Amino acid sequence: MKLTNILVPLAGTAIDPDVIEFAIALGRAHKAKITAVHVIEVKWNMPLDAVLDAELERGEEVLALAEKVAEKLGAHISTEVLQAREAAAAIVDTAVEQHSELILLGMPYRRRLGRVYVGRTVEEVYVKAPCAVLAYRQEEPK
Amino acid sequence: MKGRLPGDARVRIVRSGELRRKRGYVEATDKALEPEGPAGRALERVRSILFGRRLSSEQEHEERLSKVTGLAIFASDNISSSAYATEETMRALALAGAGALALTMPLTIAIVVILAIVVVSYLQVIRAYPNGGGSYVVASENLGRIPGLVAAAALLVDYVLTVSVSVAGGVLAITSARPDLDPYKVTIGVVFIGLLTIGNLRGIREAGVLFAGPTYFYVISVFGVLAIGLYRMVTGDLPAPIPPPVAVQQSELLGAFLILRAFSSGSVALTGTEAVANGVPAFRKPEPTNARVVLVAMGTLFGTLFIGISFLSTRIGLQPDASETQSILSMLTRSLVGEGWYFYIVQIATAIILTLAANTSFSGFPRLASILATDRFMPRQFAQRGDRLAYSFGIIVLAMLSALLLAAYQASVNGLIPLYTIGVFIAFTLSQAGLVRHWLRERGRGWRFSISVNALGAVATGVVAVVVTVTKFALGAWLVLAVMPVLVYLMWRVHQHYRRIEDELLIPRGAQVALRAREPRLIVPVSRIDKAALHAISLARGLSEHVSAVHISFDEDGAQAFKERWARSVGSAIPLEVIVSPYRSLLAPMLSYLDAIDDGDPARPIVVVLAEFVPRHWWDATLHNQTALRLKLALFTRPNTSVIDVPYHLGDAEDFEPH
Repeated sequence: MKLTNILVPLAGTAIDPDVIEFAIALGRAHKAKITAVHVIEVKWNMPLDAVLDAELERGEEVLALAEKVAEKLGAHISTEVLQAREAAAAIVDTAVEQHSELILLGMPYRRRLGRVYVGRTVEEVYVKAPCAVLAYRQEEPK
Repeated sequence: MKGRLPGDARVRIVRSGELRRKRGYVEATDKALEPEGPAGRALERVRSILFGRRLSSEQEHEERLSKVTGLAIFASDNISSSAYATEETMRALALAGAGALALTMPLTIAIVVILAIVVVSYLQVIRAYPNGGGSYVVASENLGRIPGLVAAAALLVDYVLTVSVSVAGGVLAITSARPDLDPYKVTIGVVFIGLLTIGNLRGIREAGVLFAGPTYFYVISVFGVLAIGLYRMVTGDLPAPIPPPVAVQQSELLGAFLILRAFSSGSVALTGTEAVANGVPAFRKPEPTNARVVLVAMGTLFGTLFIGISFLSTRIGLQPDASETQSILSMLTRSLVGEGWYFYIVQIATAIILTLAANTSFSGFPRLASILATDRFMPRQFAQRGDRLAYSFGIIVLAMLSALLLAAYQASVNGLIPLYTIGVFIAFTLSQAGLVRHWLRERGRGWRFSISVNALGAVATGVVAVVVTVTKFALGAWLVLAVMPVLVYLMWRVHQHYRRIEDELLIPRGAQVALRAREPRLIVPVSRIDKAALHAISLARGLSEHVSAVHISFDEDGAQAFKERWARSVGSAIPLEVIVSPYRSLLAPMLSYLDAIDDGDPARPIVVVLAEFVPRHWWDATLHNQTALRLKLALFTRPNTSVIDVPYHLGDAEDFEPH
């Protein structure tokens, strides 16, 4: 499969740097454009374009870290901040709009009720995305 | 943006690449510094190649020095002294005949003892003052401002001299090998200083990496010579001495003065010892511990090299060369290893370390100047860090001063050496005396021992300072002694200036202020009724109701014609004053007009709104007479007057509608 656009949603978890590093390694082989996106979920009782300073600052920090990782590896990535009701829908729609062939998701290692917890957003993207989806799960902490 | 389902709409947040939102404030990113035009971009590329990428203030910790690079940066001056310290001592003793050279080893040990005292004292300086500053801070806090400034001036002068002497020494090594380059020695020296400047402007860590290799190369190669010498001594295979090309003629009797002179000549080796204590904050955490390790390593390395070279030289029976074509170190190496490849390696290492000794000053001078600037004894520019977090202004000033000195002395080592060392010993003495006061006041654990060490150090370094001054005074040291009071006076005046300014400008910390609105009178000088003038008038009207225009005409007919044109085009909405200037002067009548307005209502500020046409290309500016610029300059220092510059670019939106 030839990759020209890779979409990397970042939630600001500890696994973000690894995901970006992996995306760059993948993208380099295909000379693909990498877009890191952070989605701010806006509650239904607020307008979609509400100014959420604290969330926006956090998003900026998440993307700044991704840019720093890319810079250290000598790569360039594009970054975007989106506001949506549901992160999964925004990620899928952005992938469609950008003609991304791959969505690379980071999945921190979490357990719930004795099982590894996948998370709502990852699950939804897996189900709804028309393109390939790759989940990079954090290794089990020792 | 719409989504595939009605509830899936999303909003893309438009972000500026040049500004980034952070905890409650907006931060300018490196993109904000990127130039826009092609010429600016090309210049930026050259700057980036020469000095490296810009570093943010957050990256300061990445620029800190490890012990290995710190030793190379701060110790190159001190360690390089081992290349000539033995020779300087022997050269003075040889004036009393070859027999006097037997005193070389005792004097070497005496100098190393002084070095040990100085090192122990600076270890205490680091303990007592972990934020750096060295002799200046110690002397200022314990002896008073003036002794502190004397120590600072002494060190600043010595840092400049270290660069000039080291570079002159490096140039001498080159011109000794290639005498045809002798006429270009000043140029070569200035090029060396330029290279050191560029290396240091790239930041202290990178300079350390660049210059660490040669320092360790020298240390290892000379240790190799000493190891061979000791081995040959133990096996009873010490070679016969190589006779110097020209032996020093006996011209004096061995007396106390000559011994003191030899001692002071060898003491040149102690220069650079204070650099570590000055630059404690440059080290990685824990800074004081790392600085102490480097200081001890530096003293041990230098002491071992110095004792080793002196011991083997006297054991073999070497004598200094009066013609200065061969150094004691080169004769020692040649005696022990012959003229093979190892001899050349030691020579090359020596030539490089002698030049790089200047590097210690490139870290010491800017750091000390920045501390002085923070205390407002030097211009504030010295305290600002450049693109690579180095104190760029201090580096450039040091480079310029040392290059000027090098040119003034025609890169002559013999001419520059007598100026050297005095400053360092004055600073040593003041800091030791300051520490004695410090321990007396603090009386903490072990204060009696600390006082004894520092008192002994103060007396010993004080004696050396006096001896160096007396023995080198007539040879040019007077110049340093004359420059230092001038520097102290200048620093004092700079301090007074900043204090005066602060007294006038600052408000008490935490004071609540009630701002009074002062409505200004806006005056728009108009040369003709064009789009640029109307643009400025529109802006002025937006700011205040009290706007008037003023036009200067060179004759009455012109004045009348302009009034009529104004009435037709602008009407009475903006009152117009026309001044006739029969002597065709623009500035003087304008200033007189402003004076008249000011006299009428001095409480009201005047704002001159200047319409300025901006040509498409910079070269087009030569076709315009820049009246606005001249007026701006004339109004710059006028009290109660502010200037608003309103640039008009071709293609700007029009601020008026035709009647």
